[in-house]
This record gives sequence, C-alpha cells and structure tokens, in this order.
Amino acid sequence: MYRILVIDDEEEVRHALQRRLQREGYQVDVAEGESDGIEKIKLASPAYDVVITDMAMENPDSGVRILEAALAHDLFSEVIVLTAYGNVANAVECMRRGAFDYVEKNIPGVDVYELLVLKIEQALERRRSAVNTLRRMEEITRRLTSSTRHGD
Amino acid sequence: MSKQQQYRQTLQQLGKVARQAVSQPDVDRFLDSALEEGMKLVGGFRAFIALVDDDAGELVIHSALGQGWDEEKRQRRLQVAQEEGKGITGYVAATQRPYCTGDVNHDPHYLKFFEDVVSELAVPIVDAYGRTRGVINIESDQPNAFDEEDVSSIVLLADLCLTALTLHQSRVRQEALVQIGNELSTSEDLDDLMRTVLDVAAKVLRFEDCSVFLIDDDRKRLTLAASSGALKEQVGKVSYPLGEGLTGWVAQHGEPVRTANPREDPRWRGIASEMPVEQIGAFLAVPVWGRERTIGVIRVVRRRSLAPWFDNRFTDDELEVLSAIGSQLGSAIESLNMRHRLVQTERMAAWGEMSAKAAHMIGNRTFAIKGDLNEVEYLLQQPEVNREELTELIGSIRRGISRLEEILHEFRDFVMATHLSTGVDNVNNIIAQTVAEIFPRRGPVDLKLELDPKLPDIRCDAVKLKRCFAEMIENSLSFQPEGGELYIRTGLMDSRALPARLGVARNKQFVHVQFCDKGPGVPADIKEKIFQPFFSSRVKGMGLGLSIVKGIVEAHRGFVYEDGVPGKGACFHILLPVNGKPLGEQTEVKER
Repeated sequence: MYRILVIDDEEEVRHALQRRLQREGYQVDVAEGESDGIEKIKLASPAYDVVITDMAMENPDSGVRILEAALAHDLFSEVIVLTAYGNVANAVECMRRGAFDYVEKNIPGVDVYELLVLKIEQALERRRSAVNTLRRMEEITRRLTSSTRHGD
Repeated sequence: MSKQQQYRQTLQQLGKVARQAVSQPDVDRFLDSALEEGMKLVGGFRAFIALVDDDAGELVIHSALGQGWDEEKRQRRLQVAQEEGKGITGYVAATQRPYCTGDVNHDPHYLKFFEDVVSELAVPIVDAYGRTRGVINIESDQPNAFDEEDVSSIVLLADLCLTALTLHQSRVRQEALVQIGNELSTSEDLDDLMRTVLDVAAKVLRFEDCSVFLIDDDRKRLTLAASSGALKEQVGKVSYPLGEGLTGWVAQHGEPVRTANPREDPRWRGIASEMPVEQIGAFLAVPVWGRERTIGVIRVVRRRSLAPWFDNRFTDDELEVLSAIGSQLGSAIESLNMRHRLVQTERMAAWGEMSAKAAHMIGNRTFAIKGDLNEVEYLLQQPEVNREELTELIGSIRRGISRLEEILHEFRDFVMATHLSTGVDNVNNIIAQTVAEIFPRRGPVDLKLELDPKLPDIRCDAVKLKRCFAEMIENSLSFQPEGGELYIRTGLMDSRALPARLGVARNKQFVHVQFCDKGPGVPADIKEKIFQPFFSSRVKGMGLGLSIVKGIVEAHRGFVYEDGVPGKGACFHILLPVNGKPLGEQTEVKER
C-alpha cells in the first residue's frame, strides 16, 4: 500500500483530504503544519511515497521547506504542493526545485479532489519508474563490477 | 543748586528710569516707579498715568500717586471728564501735545475734581503709529509750578513709558506665538486647533471678534470654521463664494485686507458680518497659508470707538502678527490632514493584507466543504447509505460554513470599527449588558466585576463598545479553558497616570476599563504586536479580534494596551476620553 503524508494547518482541509485519499486506497498520515510535517518526514521508514503539502502555513514558503526535507530524506519522494489563492509564485519555485506539481485548491467548476487523485497516480507512476530505473542501474553497476572482478 | 547741577541730576534720574524701562519685566511696576520719579523731578504733589483702554477707546487710570486718591476717585476721575467732554487729560489725548497751566481756575480746559489743584502738567504717550497710548498728568498746589524744562523732562518720561509698553507688548506677542507653535503641533483635531488659535489671537491682538474661514475641497467656497463671538453659532453654516466680499477676496488673492471703514470698500458685501458695518472701526483679514496655496482666511474686527480722537485701526505690527498666526494655523491644518491621511494609508495597507488573507482562508474553507460534499455524493451512490458517516459529514459542512461566516463577520467588524454612531452612555451599563449576554454562567472562569458607580457618562457608540468588551471577555476565556479568573474594573483616570509612551495630551480624563485574568499572559516580545491584524494564536475567525478592539477604541480617541506580567495573566487597559469627541462623528478634516 502506498503511503501518503498530508500536511495542512487547517483541520477541515486535512480531514477532507485524508478521507478522500483513504477511499482511494492509500495509507494516509496527516501533519498539522511545517514543523510537524518535517518531523514526520524525517522519522518515516520507509519514506512516504507522496507528500501533499499546503504552501502557506507557519511561513509563506512552508511548502518549499517541506519539499527540501522530503527530497533530502528520499530523493524519489514525490511532492505535490497545494495553494489557496495568491501563492502561485512560491508554488512555481517548488516546481523548479523538483516538486511533482502544484494544485490550486479552488478552481471554479473543477473537482479539485478528482484532479488531485489523478496527480497522485501520475506521481506514483513517476516514482515507480524512477525507482525501477535506479534498480536497473544498480543491477548494471553490480554486473559490471562483478565482470571486472572476473577479468582480474 | 546750580542750573547745571540740576540738569545733571535730572539726566541721572531719567537715565535710571530708562534702564528700568528695558530691564523691568513687570510693566505695571515700571509705570508706578516712572511716575514717582517724574513727580519728584518736577516737584508735583499728585500724579497719575492714564492708559488707553483699547477695547473701549477710553482713558483709564493705571498708576496714581499723592494725596486724596481712593479706589472710587481713581475710577471717577476720568469718567467725569469723559462724560463732560472736558478736562485737560482728554484734551491732551486728543491733541497729542503737552499741556501746562499755572492757574487751573482760569483754564478753559480744566475740569475741577480735586479742590487743592492750582497747576497742572499733562503729556501724551504717543506711539510710532501716531496713536495716543496714554497721558501722564502731574498736579501741584502752587501757582505756575511747572516750567519749560519740566515739560521736556516729562515728555522724555512719556517716551520711556512708551518704550516699556512696546517692549511688554512684543514680549507678550512673542510668548503667544511660541505658545501657538507648540500647541498647534500637538492639537488632535481641527476644533482643538481653532480654539487655540482664537485664544492666542485674543491674547496678542485686541479685537471685538475673530473668525476663521476655510476653503472647501472644490475651492469654490469659504466656510466659517471658528468664531470667537457673534458668529459662534454659525460655524459650519455660513459660507462665502470664493472672491466675494472682502474675506472672499483675501481667499482668492492670497493677500491681506486692512481697512478702518469696510463700508467704503467696493469689495465689501456684508456677508456674515460680526456686527453692523457702521459699528466696525477696524477690519483686518489675512490668508491662512498652506504649503502651496491659501487654504483659508483669518479675520479680526474692532468696534468703532465713541471717543473721536481714538484711533484703533490695525497697525503694520498687528498685520504681521495676524499673518504669522495665519501661517502657523495653515501648517498645523496641513499636518493634521497629513496625520489623518497616514492613518488612512495604514488602514488601507491593512485592508490589502486582509483581503489576501481573507481570500486564502475562504479558499481553504471552501475547499474543505467541497471535499465533504464530494464524500456525501459518494456515500449517496452506495447501495447502502451509511447514515452515521453522512451525519458526520453534514456536521463538518455546517462547521465549515460557520467558519466562513465568522470570517465575514470579522471582516465587516474590522471595516466598520471606525464608523461610529454615537450617543451618550455609561460604560458601566455597557459592560453589564455585555457580561449578561455573553459571559457563560456555569463556565470554569470566575468573573469579578468592580464597577465605579461614579463613572461619568461619555459620548460613545454603545454597540461598538459592546463588541469591544465582548472580544476582551472571549479572548480571556479562550486563554483559560481549564478555569481561572477574570476581573473587569472601571474607574476614572487622569492622563498623568498613563504610560508616557502613549503620548496623551495633558489634562485629560479617561474612563478606564481593565480586563485582567489569570491566564498565561502576553509574552513581553509580542505585547505591541497583539493589536495588529492577523496576529492571533486563537483559531476562531481571522485573528482580527484585538485589531478590531483597537480600531473601535481609537475611533473614540481612546487608547488600548496590555501590561500584564507574562506567565501570571494578561491585563488589558481600555481608556475612553471623558468629554471626548469621537472621530467617527466629527466632520472630516477637509482634504485639499
């Protein structure tokens, strides 16, 4: 089962997201803000597959700090940043630093939860393929190393 | 004694008087001693100095020496002469020439008052503008008591008296202008400003009436902003078209008008006159200067005197003084406008931040509600409806909506905090009502009320103050969830007892309301910040609560601060001025 961490300082938002994502079959943990989120990311073993974080919490750029912590813990964790009005600049900064995507919480006429579920699937797909690629490269490296040893 | 010795002695005596004229700060004492010297010098047995009472245009005895004077005689002496239209003193005041007689009984101008007078010497005190300021009068019981030299000595003495009077007047003016500078820069509103201007002008310029007119925003009209006399009731009501009448002309051209007879001036229209035009003896109007242009007119008028010799036209000096007051007033009005604009800009900045914050919070809540609705939809599509889950979701939606409403509420209260609708009320009543309405009866917090029964009524917006007190109570309750105490005390407080950093003007009284509790208190480093918008550690609303309190209190021209000991409890103080004029109800300072 894939593990998702939802970080948001609004209880209603955490609750709604957790509920929906559990329905999709994920194991969902929640964190109440930037410091709680970073703490949970650091302690996670294995690492969360996907981290969904609000952009503005204790700080206007809390999302960026969460992203850094997540990638430092596991380079292949996928981070999706949520924004509610007026934080697009910071969200774009997150993209530049390697976030999977950002999703605006309020898009008129769009079921953002549906959109988010889709993004999570895509993010998991990218993580799977990245992890696979890594495994293959490790395999090749291992083989190369052993063949070199054979040639000694 | 030889003539030369006598001459030297006279010079020495007058020299002494001259030194006193410039060094004696008390002009009354100087005149007394100058008269004494004069009487000794010429050998008189009775003497007085009469000064012109500018308001009445009459001579009034200032100093009197010699035998036979009492209070009644002092008052009657000149009154009699003026009633009869006779008397040497009045004659000298009118002709402005010294007069000397050695035999009063055969003098055409003499009017008998004291039986024993035989000779009389009278010398006018005439100022640089050629106006009579007073008369020195010396009498003797000897015939032909005074000679040419005596007259010269007293003429010199009269000049010394004039010097002392002039110095005194300019000292008074200087002090008043310094005072006006100080007071105008600390005035809190336009009414304060005007009151100060009228007070100071009255101190330095004699006048029957003084009025200030300010130019309206569209620069088409002048409106009466203050008046010391007859027009007082017309303040805010009377207005001139710019350019109309003498006052309108001053406003339009930015130049003063000075006349002794306004009726003869072709510009005169007789709009909003302080008195019938035929009674006006002097008229002076000068522009009130802002940084770039005229923003108003200040004018003074004097009543025409009954004494035909009395000249009370405004002098060059007086024109200069009034112009100085006019420009002080102008810069004070502009700095007041600037302060108002600054406050507005600060609020605008807060509004900008608040809009962004509100959008963010509303966005989050809406997002959560949408999520819940999705779930409701999903549940309803299931073959078997889980009522329990459905109920929980609906509860969550309801909570979400009520959070939205809280945000809207706070938004409205913040915006409306400074729009007061005031009446006269007692803060004790407002507190009692608020407590009755919102304080939980069986809650964990003990309420202790100490309301001062002698608290005076004040002008205030009771609804807004209720909102304010409710916020303070809720704030305290939310920080003592496990129970505690809340003291609400009221009392009167003098501005001297207030912390200096509030910068409260002296001599003000405040209704003082305290909210002190046994909660965690406010850490020292955030004491100043808690009143800023969005600075809140509470979940409810947007964190505008205390900034709304501050807005409401400041709209009442009051103050709010917190000085509790961190860790031991919070202690909030709200101060509302007694006799205050709340901002919300005052006529806005005109923007130019």
